[in-house]
Parts: sequence; structure tokens; C-alpha cells
Amino acid sequence: MSSEPDPNASRAGSWGAAFLTTFTTVFLAELGDKTQLAALLLSAQSGRPVVVFVGASLALISSSLVGVLLGRWLAKVMPPQQLERLAGILMVALGLWLGRQAVLGLVPSPSDLPLS
Amino acid sequence: MPFALLASTFATVFLAELGDKTQLAIVTISGTSTRPGAVFAGSSAALVLASLLGAAAGGSLSAVIPTNALQLAASVGFLVIGVRLIQRSSSPEAEESSAD
Repeated sequence: MSSEPDPNASRAGSWGAAFLTTFTTVFLAELGDKTQLAALLLSAQSGRPVVVFVGASLALISSSLVGVLLGRWLAKVMPPQQLERLAGILMVALGLWLGRQAVLGLVPSPSDLPLS
Repeated sequence: MPFALLASTFATVFLAELGDKTQLAIVTISGTSTRPGAVFAGSSAALVLASLLGAAAGGSLSAVIPTNALQLAASVGFLVIGVRLIQRSSSPEAEESSAD
């Protein structure tokens, strides 16, 4: 992934900051995600955890790549300010949705285990 | 290496992730970051590590890790990034906050 010449150096965050922000956000969200892990656990019981792990990792890396490429494409086709505003709204929406799920999970709901 | 199991796991996880909130976050972060390589490295590492922990902890993951608390923390992370993006988009080049 050759990084294109940075048009506006002052906007360039350090590589580490971008890595850390993405890592923590995605890691927390993914670890808390019950559904994805359940799928993984089911296939892990196939007695070949290594194969399952390799398959899952390749899939996760590919889906990250798809996500990053899609993001880059959006950055090319959309005016930066508009993309930033839309991205901000999407992230806030995701945050609220995740927060709601977490709070629902924390508050013991009378009905049975809410399958999120 | 039983290819069938590998392929079925790949397909299951890839489809499960497609359009998942983490992928949406990855699209958003990479679209507004000047470091797509770092975003790719960070997201891949996070996803693989999270699934490794999940697989390693076996069935007892939620007993071991308070997943709801983690989701709450993740939601705060999303909100912070989202608010900063909105701020940055509304104040164009006025105040230069580093784009991470």
C-alpha cells in the first residue's frame, strides 16, 4: 500500500496514532461482539482449531482490506469535508447503537437473554 | 490442511464481518485518515487478536471478559472519533487537529 504523497503535511497524524486508534476501537468492538465469536466457537469445535483460526484470520484480514479500500475510494470520490461529516455522523450512530446494546446487556432484562 | 474446513470458516467469518459495525468503522476511519496503511494494520491486528482470544477462551469468554463493558468502551471510542470528525469537518482549516 504505497501511501500517496501527503498533500497537507500538517494534517498528517503519526503512523502510530492511526494504528493505535484503529487497533483499540476495533479490538474493543470486536471482542465485545458476541455473535461473531459464537460463529467462531462453533467451528472451533470441529477439532481443528488451527485450521479454523487460519481461515478466520484470513477472512478478518480480507474484510479489513475491503474496508480500507472502500474508505480510500470514498476519500477519492467525495469532497473531504463532506466525507468527514458523514463519517463523523456514522461513527456517532455506531457509537450510540453499540452503547445501547451494551447498556441493554448490562441491565438484566426480564425477558430471556436478548440475542443481540 | 483440510481445505473444506478452511474455506467454510473463511466464508462464514468474511460474510459475518461484511457490513458489520467494525467494518463500517474501518471504512470510516480509513476514509478520513492520511495513514490507510496504519488503519489496515491496526484493524487486521485487532480482529485477529480478538478472534484468537475468543478461540483460546473457548466457551468461557464472556465469563472471562465482561463483553458488555467492552462494548460500552468501544461505543465511547466510536463517539469520540465521530465527534472529532464532525468538529473537523465543520471547522475547515481553522484549527489543525492531527488527523489520526
